[in-house]
Amino acid sequence: MESIKVTINGREIIAEKGQTILQIAENNGIEIPTLCYIDEVKAYGACGLCVVEAENTPKLLRACSSVAFDGMVVKTDTPRVRQARKIALELLLSDHTGDCKGPCSLNCPAGTDCQGYVKLIAEGKFKEAVELVKDRVPLPASIGRVCPHPCETACRRQLVEEPISIAFLKSFAADKDLQSGDKFMPEVAEPSGKTVGIIGGGPAGLTAAYFLAVKGHKVTVYDAMPKMGGMLRYGIPQYRLPKEILDMEISSVAELGVEMKNNVKVGTDITLDEIRSKHDAVIVAVGAWTSSSMGVTGEELDGVFGGIDFLRSVALGQPVDIGKRVAVIGGGNTAMDACRTTVRLNADEVYVIYRRTRAEMPAEKVEIDEAEEEGVVYKFLCNPTEIIGDNGKVKAVKLQKMELGEPDAGGRRRPVPVEGAFETIELDSVIMAIGQKINIGGFEQLELTNRGNISADTSTFRTSMDGVFAVGDATNRGASIAIEAIGEAQKASEVVDGYLNGENVGYKKPYFVEKTVTAEDLADREKCSRAKMPQRSPEERKHDFIEVNLGFTAEQAMNEAKRCLQCGCHDFHECKLIRYANQYDVQPERFFGEKHNCPKEQKLVSIERDQNKCILCNLCVRVCDEEVGKGILGLVGRGFTTVIKPEFDSPDVAAYCKDCQKCVNACPTGALKSL
Amino acid sequence: MKIVVGEGSCGIAAGAAKVYSAIEALLGSSEAMLTVTGCIGMCFLEPIVDIYDGDELKKRLVKVQPDDAEKIIAYVNGDEKAVDGIEISDDDKQFLEKQTRIALRHCGLINPEKIEEYTAQDGYKALEKVLNTMTPEEVIEEIKVSGLAGRGGAGFPTWFKWNAARQSQGEEKYLICNADEGDPGAFMDRAVIESDPHNLIEGMLIGAYAIGAKEAVVYVRAEYPLAIERLKEAIKQAEEKGFLGDNIMNSGFSCKMRIKAGAGAFVCGEETALIESLQGERGMPRLKPPFPAQSGYWYKPSNINNVETFANVSWIILNGGDAFAAMGTEGSKGTKVFALTGKIQKGGLVEIPMGKTLRDVIFDIGGGIKNGKEFKAVQMGGPSGGCIPAELLDTVIDYKALGATGAIMGSGGMVVMDETTCMVSMAQFFLDFTAKESCGKCIHCRIGTKRMLEILNRIVKGEGKEGDIELLEELCYSIKDGALCGLGQTAPNPVLTTIKYFRNEYEAHIKEKKCPARSCPDLLSYSIDPDKCRGCTLCAKKCPADAISGEVKSAHSVDTSKCIKCGSCVSVCRFGAVNVD
Repeated sequence: MESIKVTINGREIIAEKGQTILQIAENNGIEIPTLCYIDEVKAYGACGLCVVEAENTPKLLRACSSVAFDGMVVKTDTPRVRQARKIALELLLSDHTGDCKGPCSLNCPAGTDCQGYVKLIAEGKFKEAVELVKDRVPLPASIGRVCPHPCETACRRQLVEEPISIAFLKSFAADKDLQSGDKFMPEVAEPSGKTVGIIGGGPAGLTAAYFLAVKGHKVTVYDAMPKMGGMLRYGIPQYRLPKEILDMEISSVAELGVEMKNNVKVGTDITLDEIRSKHDAVIVAVGAWTSSSMGVTGEELDGVFGGIDFLRSVALGQPVDIGKRVAVIGGGNTAMDACRTTVRLNADEVYVIYRRTRAEMPAEKVEIDEAEEEGVVYKFLCNPTEIIGDNGKVKAVKLQKMELGEPDAGGRRRPVPVEGAFETIELDSVIMAIGQKINIGGFEQLELTNRGNISADTSTFRTSMDGVFAVGDATNRGASIAIEAIGEAQKASEVVDGYLNGENVGYKKPYFVEKTVTAEDLADREKCSRAKMPQRSPEERKHDFIEVNLGFTAEQAMNEAKRCLQCGCHDFHECKLIRYANQYDVQPERFFGEKHNCPKEQKLVSIERDQNKCILCNLCVRVCDEEVGKGILGLVGRGFTTVIKPEFDSPDVAAYCKDCQKCVNACPTGALKSL
Repeated sequence: MKIVVGEGSCGIAAGAAKVYSAIEALLGSSEAMLTVTGCIGMCFLEPIVDIYDGDELKKRLVKVQPDDAEKIIAYVNGDEKAVDGIEISDDDKQFLEKQTRIALRHCGLINPEKIEEYTAQDGYKALEKVLNTMTPEEVIEEIKVSGLAGRGGAGFPTWFKWNAARQSQGEEKYLICNADEGDPGAFMDRAVIESDPHNLIEGMLIGAYAIGAKEAVVYVRAEYPLAIERLKEAIKQAEEKGFLGDNIMNSGFSCKMRIKAGAGAFVCGEETALIESLQGERGMPRLKPPFPAQSGYWYKPSNINNVETFANVSWIILNGGDAFAAMGTEGSKGTKVFALTGKIQKGGLVEIPMGKTLRDVIFDIGGGIKNGKEFKAVQMGGPSGGCIPAELLDTVIDYKALGATGAIMGSGGMVVMDETTCMVSMAQFFLDFTAKESCGKCIHCRIGTKRMLEILNRIVKGEGKEGDIELLEELCYSIKDGALCGLGQTAPNPVLTTIKYFRNEYEAHIKEKKCPARSCPDLLSYSIDPDKCRGCTLCAKKCPADAISGEVKSAHSVDTSKCIKCGSCVSVCRFGAVNVD
């Protein structure tokens, strides 16, 4: 075989005469993208992604069909080439309808592959499910119990009847794993020789510790409290999240070699500079531990508590004197945790005072209902204007009656005072659960936002101090839910790992194809109600701190998981289109216009075809024709209306299909699926 | 005397067949002979009747109606003055006199259905010369000397393609004529086939001899039924005379010829898509390389030329390549046929030597713009070409010079536009055409032209957005770079050239929501000037939407909510009272 010399991207390569540029590049580890070329069939040239520039050639060449010649000089990654590929991808995506991922996963701040693990649970593969969850969330047993589950809020199953119980499925699988005696432990990379100091052992800190340890870095977590877990331990009551479960999950992090130092408070026991000097990188994940105040008179009185302060004291086992008549101010989950804890501390009268109505309460509905079952009394449309004291101690609270006015910017109706309408209730204590703030002590040297939180770049998580990163409730917009902090910490761990390897890359939200689905689209699905979580009765549970929920049985979990609609594309992990789309930083929205709106999912023998995901690479047609010799598929229509159908649009040709599935394997997207 | 009725498709459309019948009915015992010819290229004067005495053209009668038959018979019977009113004017005679005809040299002069009339004009003499005295290499050399380049649009040197096919290994080779003339407004090839089919056959046979092909195929669009019919007849006659078939003129060279009617896909004018179609496949372009000269029809070496290219060949052989090369510019030799159409006074076929200017064609030969309007631009090369504005009218007709404007020589379509043409909707028209005619194979053409069209659609509707021009430009350059075949690669040209020369019109549509040419209905509003309106009620009567109301003899008004912007009020108002903004 005669050989030739070709230069690709400045690299001199000896190749065989007659080889195409694409073949030569592939053989030498140079990636040239293509959607319509595979070795088994003739080059076709439709996608135009494989274009390259060649010296002395004004036109771009399609590498799949251009035979190289001796002395040829080729560049595969010039701006012109990238632009051509980018536009081709954007044009394809402007006419591509589907869901790369389900709404559950897309709406999870941590990007957890909900659909994936729900499917594994449905198949009884609990360990595999945990392994998949732990790809993003290292504390699934804990998080599954406490997460307000944005995944379920987005779940499309509610268009049929109710969302999948995704969060409880997660804790179910994680519990199984913890109990199995052979719990899942990730593989840890070779030691990198680098160390990372993490300040704060809450969900964010533990998450960052887990992923950085997995990558082989030596991690030390510094925490001000006696035990690790942060708000999961000191903010979430035992009856919702038993600390034994949390302890087990924290142990799993420690077992990766993470060193955990408790009772170390930055600013008191150690300085940020000291920690920085000990480590190659530092992540600040200290959370927001100060209760917000309302600014009404009487807040300084004995018997007035901050919501998270109260919960922390109870968790620490400190005596809290709340008396018999308690009011909790606020409508969020902390208010629910506080009032239900109060019930368990044997208060006789527990009120939740909220200035809007039940419908506007930010707390989870199930929490609101369960609190009521336990005897909590809601006082809606009331706003405290004064806490009245007697001898320095709470005696009563004066409430301004409210009514709902016009909706505010967030769409919730704004409460407005009803003039002259007041009510006073006699109380022993008041718990203000209206929000929380960061205590900046020890971190003054970092640049802050105008809200007083630590300022961290939303992509690189960098603070104003070199090598110091920050995530979670302490940063930017302040306190949020645990899974939000976990998501940030997971992304930050990637960024910090890059930083430790000398790279300077930030996190970039990947591009996904998404579509809109209506109840009408799912009208053919059989209704099947959501599994109800078995619980202890209110009468029984209100007197102790033992966990309220009893957990799913395996059968319940599997049946529940089977309700999943599997919205996300089956081919997501293999799809070349989405991989290239992210490599080329596409913005297809600018070309949005008419889309193919083909009838969904047509069956052909044992193949399901979704033409809305078809990119007309024609590989299925060509494989069937050239490789299988059947020619069952063909192109029908012209221009934009072209679609792939059985040849000549004839239904009979399917009879010749030998069901070899080669077309499915050749399809670069999720347009074809084996049934 | 001989009465000759011009019966090309255009003449027939103008009523030539009825004229023929009327003359035939009155001919009776007259000694005059009645016959037909093809198209002489003066569309604006059809139907045309020529009266010959022997070989001498005595009279050329224009815009002849069936009623004129009596006058014609009277003339041939000796009444010299009978046809005075319908004779061609001296000015109109200039239309032909200013042309130099090679490809069209027999068009409108001989009867295309009679091979004898072709052979009487030295027909098949070039073939005889080639077969008897020249080697294939010598033929290719002669074509090389002539400088003949592909007249289908790309302008690739003909000799080079012939030589490549000649050099390709293999016994089995094919010669193909591309007669899939699909550009809107182009009709050069149709005229050649309908009017002088033997010239095409002879040119093809010479080409077949040069490359070594034993089989030739003419791929004609099925929308040209008369061309197919006449070519079929011509092939039959040529076979009967021994110019076609086995052992032609005892030279030992054999070649058969057949016609393939294309089903009407524009992309089949692209040579590799044409080959796919010939093979019975869906008309979609192949990847190049390999080029057809290496692997074409049935994957054998093949050569494809367009009709006009072949129509020059026999002339070159008879007159010498030098004579052909003596005409034209340094880079573009010989003559070129244009189909002059649009807002032009004298529309028709114009063949002129390369090197003349656009002004020569449009104003000197074509007589300028109709109805006293201003020239605005000329679209060259159909959907693959571009527009050339007034300030570039002195551009010479030459592949390079025309290419430099952003337009192309093209196959010869020359659509003239005046001030009432909106350049954005012109671009929209061509994009609509290419988007629909895209074969759907490559992404850039299939989706790219669709997206360009959507942007243009919204601009002409007044829904254009800031940044749309830039987005169009970005798409244009990417499609030119990325599309698989010529159709896609050239599809952006009408948009690019209109943006280049008429960007202000795009901006007016987008920013001011105005159409400067007052042509885009969605951007117009109609009103009646009460000072000018006399209350004649004509507009109200003509309005198809009942949008105009008013009392007799008092000013009328337009209900804009009902107005469908058809413009009928403007055309009927005798007082110029209808305002269009």
